[in-house]
Amino acid sequence: MTTAMIILVLLAGAYAVAVLEGWATNGRFQPAGPVLDAVAMLGRESVVTRSSDRIFFEVGPVLLLISALLAAAVLPLAPGLIITDLATGALFVNAALAYVMVALLMAGWGPDGVYAMVGGWRFLGQLVGYSMLIVMPLTAVAMRAESLFTTRIVESQGAMWNVIFQPMGFILFFLAALAVCFLPPFDLPTAPGELAGGVMAEYTGARLAIMRLARAVLVVTLAVTVTVFYMGGWLGPVLPPWAWTLGKSLLVAAAMLFVGRFIPRIREEHLLQWFWKFGIPLALLNILYVGIVLLVVDS
Amino acid sequence: MSALQQYALLFGMVVGAVGFVLSVYGIARSLGKTRQEPGKDVPATSGKLSRDPVWARYHVRYYGYALLFLAFDMEMAYMYPWAVVYREVGLKALLDMGVFLGILYLGLLYGWSQGAFRRQR
Amino acid sequence: MISGARQAEPTWFHRVVARAMARRLGAFVVPGPDVARAYGLDVEAAGLQTVDTPRHAGVLLLVGELPEGLREAAAVAYAQMPRPRAVFAVGAGNLAPLPDPDVSVALSQESLVAGVEELRRSLAEGAFAPETEDFEAEVVLEEKEGEEGMDHGHMHHGSGEEEAESDGEENESDQEEDQEEESGEKEIGEDQLENFMSMIEMTEGMPASGDGLIMEWVPAPYGPLFPGLPGGLSLTFTLDGDTVAETEVEPGIEGHFPAALLRGPVESIAERAAKLDPLTPLAYRLLARRAVEEASGVGISDEEALSRIGALERERAASHMGWAASFGYLIGDGWLSQRAARLQLALLRASNIEELERIRNETENFVRKALRTPLLGSKLGGIGALDDPGAEVMSGPVARAAGSEKDARSEDPSYRKLSFSPIVRHGNDALTRFQLRLEESVQSLDLVLKAGIITDTVSLANNISSGTGTATVETPRGSATLNVTLEDGEVTAVELDAPSTRNVRLVEAVTVGKEVADALVGVGSLDLSPWEISR
Repeated sequence: MTTAMIILVLLAGAYAVAVLEGWATNGRFQPAGPVLDAVAMLGRESVVTRSSDRIFFEVGPVLLLISALLAAAVLPLAPGLIITDLATGALFVNAALAYVMVALLMAGWGPDGVYAMVGGWRFLGQLVGYSMLIVMPLTAVAMRAESLFTTRIVESQGAMWNVIFQPMGFILFFLAALAVCFLPPFDLPTAPGELAGGVMAEYTGARLAIMRLARAVLVVTLAVTVTVFYMGGWLGPVLPPWAWTLGKSLLVAAAMLFVGRFIPRIREEHLLQWFWKFGIPLALLNILYVGIVLLVVDS
Repeated sequence: MSALQQYALLFGMVVGAVGFVLSVYGIARSLGKTRQEPGKDVPATSGKLSRDPVWARYHVRYYGYALLFLAFDMEMAYMYPWAVVYREVGLKALLDMGVFLGILYLGLLYGWSQGAFRRQR
Repeated sequence: MISGARQAEPTWFHRVVARAMARRLGAFVVPGPDVARAYGLDVEAAGLQTVDTPRHAGVLLLVGELPEGLREAAAVAYAQMPRPRAVFAVGAGNLAPLPDPDVSVALSQESLVAGVEELRRSLAEGAFAPETEDFEAEVVLEEKEGEEGMDHGHMHHGSGEEEAESDGEENESDQEEDQEEESGEKEIGEDQLENFMSMIEMTEGMPASGDGLIMEWVPAPYGPLFPGLPGGLSLTFTLDGDTVAETEVEPGIEGHFPAALLRGPVESIAERAAKLDPLTPLAYRLLARRAVEEASGVGISDEEALSRIGALERERAASHMGWAASFGYLIGDGWLSQRAARLQLALLRASNIEELERIRNETENFVRKALRTPLLGSKLGGIGALDDPGAEVMSGPVARAAGSEKDARSEDPSYRKLSFSPIVRHGNDALTRFQLRLEESVQSLDLVLKAGIITDTVSLANNISSGTGTATVETPRGSATLNVTLEDGEVTAVELDAPSTRNVRLVEAVTVGKEVADALVGVGSLDLSPWEISR
């Protein structure tokens, strides 16, 4: 029951994200757009390219959807409103999101098209860049909560949200979250102006619909992740807990979708350089900082 | 819920997602078949018909990062259990991990000095 | 029924889907969104959504008259669109080998809007049909074995389907053959058999990259219909991973109006010249007039000179804004791209000086914000740099961004009266070119306001007989020089030197050895017009 409810909420969130994304890219707010798009895509032919790696081609979009859903499964929307409260929750989020890279690499390799292939390999490089900035800030969050249970992580923020407690970790994690969802300015694997759609270029019809849905669910998942780990999850006065999670997540999602509108796409070279030369040292400093603060608080 | 049940539920979600996708494909399929026409199954490359296959030994330029990434990724596996017991153990944990991370960070600096952090030409 | 209907016996479900499709039209624009805007068309405002690849499009939008080469490219794109697909022609003439357009309208925003409405209706009714036919243009048909053509890559693949299927083995055996040819004396002994499939064996004789690794190179077509490049510009990058190892530029657009067609009656030369380049028709019209006037020794009035400055500078500002829109799209800056496109259209449509003054202020505002875009310096700085800044091939903004004061306007007395002096910057990279073009567009609008006239209306003098004349006009892309010979009211010989013909030679320098995104930024920063590249 809870599972069905959460999945419905996720889908509703994905719909909102699709509307917001349309707004962010075209500057037009069209609440009915995504549903029309979806129906129209169903009616189009779904082409399979010649000499494609059929398994990779088919699995790519599905795996993207699954990895986003699995990551969302361990995130609480409210006390008790969670699909599975795993003891390894925070780690599991990270593990499930690793498959985003696998899915995109498959989607890039599958169709045997040059733009897609460059896009797929680009994303592997992107993962090498952002991956540490998912893991390290999460560690600092877990240190404070003394647990990997995502519900405990929310509860640990009762006195002060992590966004204030460890702002550096928040910024790094937010950037990494953008990179996971390959949203602008980190849209290297799809890069419309550089690769004409990249990993998504060869998907048409129903397969494209699944790919776009998966991407929207991924954005929702990452928005909820940021909310749960840094924005105090369901914590907040007056409104019911689930409303707080949803409201905060929507705000985070909107920020994720709009920030790239005003910035040029990051060059791959810089993406890796900045994440490694500045991101990782800062993330380690963040761990140290959190460690010291916790010692001081505890003693 | 026991851990086993939790994982069964997650597995159920995977199966459910696959089922959902298949049923979407089924609905789409009910609207008609994809017509096989000349040129349609060739990957679209901006108006030029490029039938050559592109699968090749791909030259990634970020292998310097990728090697260091392996070291860091392994290291993170130790960080999670440490993070959970950190407050319990206290200062000792900070020092232990500090030494460990310090050594790792030296590795990062070494890689940096050797030019791992650039695009390989 | 539409030309690219999908075969199905329409049920209620099909009708629902067709209606949804009619509401959401994704259009792949041929030759490109930049050309559509230069014609003054706002595709998005008409209710079409431009998409990056024909795979995601339901409508093939053809803008303006298309030369043969582009029609063939459009036919390939059309063949790759999933059905149901429709052809929507705006001011297009002959479309073969494409099917007859489902909707065909004149070249104007009103008719575009009306056409979209018509397209929606015919899609809602005819997206699915019981009987459909294959699209079988010559260009998309399978090549015959042994025919020349596609096989220009380094991988020596055959182009037939069977060969594509078994590409792995084909590839290796090919390379072994190559290698035997190159090292003829080498004996194939036992130790070589042991090394079968080893990296050293497989890669022998193949070109190595900068880091000494030998990988396989893949040819990647970029154009003529690539969304990040000027519509019609056709490059082929040979990619070594994500880096451009070699660049091949196809000169100009096949079948496009050549300069030789300027020959003929002298009265209509200006109209013919306007067809040279749809991106800057005015500059070429002006160039033809000036050349004819030189030939016949006719002078022009001060007012006429001012009106020409007004028209030319307005076109320059619009062209630079159009470039900024395309460039913004290429570098993934949505805000920049959309604002610049809006300003370009506003500039092209402005009908009086007051309106233009308002747009000038908006432009200045936009330019100020655009130059402060975060991370712009890291995205563009040092990209597209050219080693030899004094290269005489360069002209226009590319040259002025490299510290050269070369500008045909400096020699023009009527420009001097408006106290014009060219903006010059030193940097010679994509960032400087970006800054320079944006600043120039404000400067141009100031010149228009000083001139006080925004349209040139005076027609060509008619007392023209014989002679030879040369004129140079600073077009938005650089100086274009036209040399005409007149005999008894007929143009008998022409010689045109267009800026993009010269600047296209810089493409190799800004692409080879660069990551593909940087290479594209380099090409984009040159602002090439494929229309004026002579074949």
